[in-house]
Amino acid sequence: MSLAETDVPLVVTETPSNRKGVSVSRRIWRAAFASYEFRVGLVVFAVLVAAALLYPSLSGIDPTKMNVAGRLQAPWFLGDKWSWSAPLGTDQIGRDMLVRSLVGLRYSLLIGFSTVVLMLAVGCTIGMLAGYYGGKVDLVLMRITDAQLSIPMIILAITVLGVSRPTIPAIILVLGLSSWPVYARVTRSVVMTERKQEYVRAALVSGASDLRIMALLLAPLILPPIVFISVLDVARMMIFESILGFMGLGVQPPTPTFGSIIADGRKYLLNAWWIATMPGIFLCLTLTSVNLMGASLERARNRIYGGA
Amino acid sequence: MANPPVLSVRDLAVELRTESGTRSILSDISFDLEPRQIMGIIGASGSGKTVLSRALVNWIDPPLAIASGSVIYKSQNILELPPGQLRPLRKEIAYVGANPMGALDPTLPVGAQIVEKIRAVVPGMDKAEAQRRVIELLGAVRIPSPAQRFHEYPSQFSGGMMQRALIVDALATNPAFLVADNVTQPLDVTVAAQVMRLMRELTERFDTAVVFVSSSLPTVSEAADQVLVLADGRIVERQTPAKLIREPQHPYTVQLISEIPQIWTAAAPVVESPERSGTPLISIEDATRTYRVRKRSSFAGYNNVRAVRNVTFDVYPGENFGIVGESGCGKSSLMRLLSRLESPDTGRVVCDGQDIAKLSGAELLKFRRDFQLVLQDPFNSLPPRTSIGAIIEGPLKVHGVNSAAKRRERALAVMHEVGLSAALYDELPLGLSAGQRQRVNVARAMVLEPKVLIMDETLSSLDQTEQFKLLKLFSQLQAKHGLTYIFISHDMAMVRRVCNRIAVMYLGEVVEIADNGKLFFDPGHPYTKALLSAIPTLEKRRYRPEDCLLEGEPPSPIDLPPGCSFASRCPKAFGRCHAESPVLTVDGKEGMAACFLLESAGGRIAA
Amino acid sequence: MFILSFLVRRLLQGALIIFLVTLLIFTLLRVVPGDPVRLMAGGMAPEALIEQIAKQMGLRDPILVQFGRYMAGVVQGDLGQSFVRPASGAATGGSGFSDASRSDRAEVLTLIADALPMTLQLAALAIAFALAFSFLVGVPGGLAPNRWPDRLAFYVSSIFVSLPNFWLGIVLALLFSVKLGWLPAIGYKGFAYTILPAIVLAIELAPVLIRNLTGSLASVMQSPFIAVARVRGLGRQRIVYGHALRNASVPLLNLLGIQISGLLGGVLIVEFIFDYPGLGLLTVNAVMQRDFPLIQGIAIVSSAIFVLINIGVDLIATLIDPRLEY
Repeated sequence: MSLAETDVPLVVTETPSNRKGVSVSRRIWRAAFASYEFRVGLVVFAVLVAAALLYPSLSGIDPTKMNVAGRLQAPWFLGDKWSWSAPLGTDQIGRDMLVRSLVGLRYSLLIGFSTVVLMLAVGCTIGMLAGYYGGKVDLVLMRITDAQLSIPMIILAITVLGVSRPTIPAIILVLGLSSWPVYARVTRSVVMTERKQEYVRAALVSGASDLRIMALLLAPLILPPIVFISVLDVARMMIFESILGFMGLGVQPPTPTFGSIIADGRKYLLNAWWIATMPGIFLCLTLTSVNLMGASLERARNRIYGGA
Repeated sequence: MANPPVLSVRDLAVELRTESGTRSILSDISFDLEPRQIMGIIGASGSGKTVLSRALVNWIDPPLAIASGSVIYKSQNILELPPGQLRPLRKEIAYVGANPMGALDPTLPVGAQIVEKIRAVVPGMDKAEAQRRVIELLGAVRIPSPAQRFHEYPSQFSGGMMQRALIVDALATNPAFLVADNVTQPLDVTVAAQVMRLMRELTERFDTAVVFVSSSLPTVSEAADQVLVLADGRIVERQTPAKLIREPQHPYTVQLISEIPQIWTAAAPVVESPERSGTPLISIEDATRTYRVRKRSSFAGYNNVRAVRNVTFDVYPGENFGIVGESGCGKSSLMRLLSRLESPDTGRVVCDGQDIAKLSGAELLKFRRDFQLVLQDPFNSLPPRTSIGAIIEGPLKVHGVNSAAKRRERALAVMHEVGLSAALYDELPLGLSAGQRQRVNVARAMVLEPKVLIMDETLSSLDQTEQFKLLKLFSQLQAKHGLTYIFISHDMAMVRRVCNRIAVMYLGEVVEIADNGKLFFDPGHPYTKALLSAIPTLEKRRYRPEDCLLEGEPPSPIDLPPGCSFASRCPKAFGRCHAESPVLTVDGKEGMAACFLLESAGGRIAA
Repeated sequence: MFILSFLVRRLLQGALIIFLVTLLIFTLLRVVPGDPVRLMAGGMAPEALIEQIAKQMGLRDPILVQFGRYMAGVVQGDLGQSFVRPASGAATGGSGFSDASRSDRAEVLTLIADALPMTLQLAALAIAFALAFSFLVGVPGGLAPNRWPDRLAFYVSSIFVSLPNFWLGIVLALLFSVKLGWLPAIGYKGFAYTILPAIVLAIELAPVLIRNLTGSLASVMQSPFIAVARVRGLGRQRIVYGHALRNASVPLLNLLGIQISGLLGGVLIVEFIFDYPGLGLLTVNAVMQRDFPLIQGIAIVSSAIFVLINIGVDLIATLIDPRLEY
């Protein structure tokens, strides 16, 4: 902020820290929660997660149980009556679409979230080191990051998973290790600008070690810009999980995943379009709810910090 | 009586409208601007003077809003004109602001943007014609090689040069009046003096009336025919400058005048020098620091920026040592050497008989504890996401105070000492004023009970009143804790008030080092005289800018010419100055200066 | 001079990046389980034969030796030959192994050179669609923060980013190609076959561009020089199109550069869905057939594309904003 701007009285009138005893992060959550988009996202997300966790066991329907007699049943809104056993219809060998979709959602969420945690850990560490130490450390780490960034991650993922057997940990590892560069870049750029700020200098003068500065002063600063990206990345990783499943490189059958259901359903597109469409709609709903929450959080953060 | 006023402001009121309510920023503002008049407007920060200057050119954006009143130009209220009708009038209404570096699109050449403006407000103006005029005017404001500068980008201009270019931008269309809002605030004093002189010349030449807004009464009183004093959004006094200073009426004006630092008058404070005996607290011995900066134009080339050159001095316990100089003189690099953020390339910084570059582990921690830094920018020096209590406690954690209760107690004690309310403990720095932020900075430095506080431009972003209060706080702290201060500043008046010994820096060198009285009353170096001549003051000047300073700006520290670094701007330079570099020479018993004129006057070479 | 030194420096860096990519892919392919020779020779081939072929092809040498031999070829412009594809064209499956001599197998470079133009055409069209759409939605959004155009941009990008590309491809193909018959979808028999896949890719690419454009345009509009420009007498059109968009386009360009790699990933999926004969389809098949030389070749080419495009992007960015230095 330049000296010129401080002269305008309107800059410092609204103090976001008026209310005492409320931490910043809680204020951001409150502001986000107050927005319509966030609430819609949260409700949809909560309903979907609850359904995914509870419905398959409560309904007692086995997602892998075949029922050739009841194959290719239409969903209730196309058929003539409601059916508790298959409200969203059945697939080509009579398995219930609803249960299969919800079980697919479980794996999608599990892989989405754990992948992002892994990406965060790797990316932020590398970006922090590069940004803080600069010079040769920066040069080496950033060339590695560039190299990683220059191969489309999906090529890497299908290459590794295509030639070895895909298990859940392998999928998380491959997805996580092939998409951290964005975090490294963002972290590095934030750390590089903040590192020059005077409070870092003040901390150095007071005798703080590099590790302390990185962990206590800089880490809280990289978190906010990263949270937004990472919420969006949960959605992105869920998409990748389903892509892998679609190509037969995801969690292996008989476990249902969004990708594998859609791949199966594709063959029946003309006479039973719901097989490929239903899991897609579930996936889209989940992703939209996650994205709405992430984006509202970002907006709330900008409001609280005045766009900082 | 013959001419109607250029501009009439009647009952102008501006409000700030937010969700939490409406607050009045300006009210009952009425005045007339006569042709060729220079109307000064003075007020503290927050008095609404920037809002007023913007209202005059119809630049009021939400959440600000015009509540009532009019600004009449050519019998039209420009506040109510639709944009389409107002735009042609912009040719006659000019504005120059306080932020020259942000005023133009950074991605386009300066000249092209001025031409664009001329052609936007003067339809039918030929492009080549406009370009010719801009180049001519750039020359008139003494921008060197204007035809080449015309094609350069804003980032290639210095602040002072950019401000001149913006004056060209404002005056290129022969406006009827010019609103100049704090135009000299961001500039170095010697450059500001040049810009002021230029503006007076040009407005005379173009017959332009001027509304000159500033927070510095000396600057306004030198420039204006009439002064309006603004306090809390109202005009509280209206006078000619001479009368205003002689017989201020309103209490606010009285206070404003009383706070203007005295430099040479009998009322000026006398700063006592403590006994300089025993070992110095910290000595800097022939230190040099050069930075390598990548050259843009060549392949793998580097430029050497010589930021600190052969600096030597001692600071004794209990002193208030000042280091002054304009931007780019190397004083911040020197600060980094003194606080061991960096080590000198050659030479040493010695504390307790030890080279501080060689300290490590517990010894380094001890040094860090004793030498604390209070930084310049109140907005960047506090981590934005950390509460004030945690900021102040940070150094305690580093220095091994492990009990949270003890840290809290200590932090609250220091906050009390520097005048911060305990209620701020859990708050973020976001809503604090600049003065409060600097108090947090001081508290963070004081929490370790240091021996030395290095103040890097700590007060320069505060207004007079706040500066006053903090300086009082500093002397209280000094009396109580026996502190030594090193003030790094560009503000001669502030240094005059508090420092007992002062080093003057120019282009990385200390050109003069002297006791307070000696430096201000009998400076040995021509650059010191130039600095003194440019201090904004109401007093009769001992040194006049016309005698003490040539046009131009400091040369780049990259390619230093041989000889005395000040030779290119020194009115007294002679042949030898362009060939050899002078060294610090003893000038009387209270000071040393680096100038050949002293040698001929019989000074001795310093040991 | 500046341009030249910039190019030399960036090309050297780019070469290093490509080298690292090659090393990574090469090592990965050899440490993960799965023997290409077994696939080539077929499940019935005796162990001894497999070992013999593997030795012949040098696949039993230490990885570093193999890598050195490969890089020596790459430097001379030889990306090797496909393990499985005959020079004549269609891939041979793993059913019967004919001891094809080296000359019978397809050059990797030729395979890539055949597929690349198709992919470039698809990617270029997708970028054009995405940019056009982003400007249409993002510019009004950036000029009216917190009002309805901004909300619209927000919702559009939130929904678009939530559409999985392969699913969208299936649904759009079903809708526009099968049900409505407006656009052809599967395979490639003319330019019209590029449109639907390009739309899918554009929808994947657009949300980030819209958000970036909205955000940076809104923040540029807050800069002092925009407000001052109005006071200086410039018209709104001129301010928005001459100055604000110019400044906002720099971050957009940089983002586009980074998104290229994501776009190539999307191309792979979309080509697979639409059976579009480009680099992506070639990759999928190469992976399924464990065609190591082809996978390596594609990785090198795609990272080279990434490097070159980013050099171009940075060059354009420095032309727009002279303050930038690379």
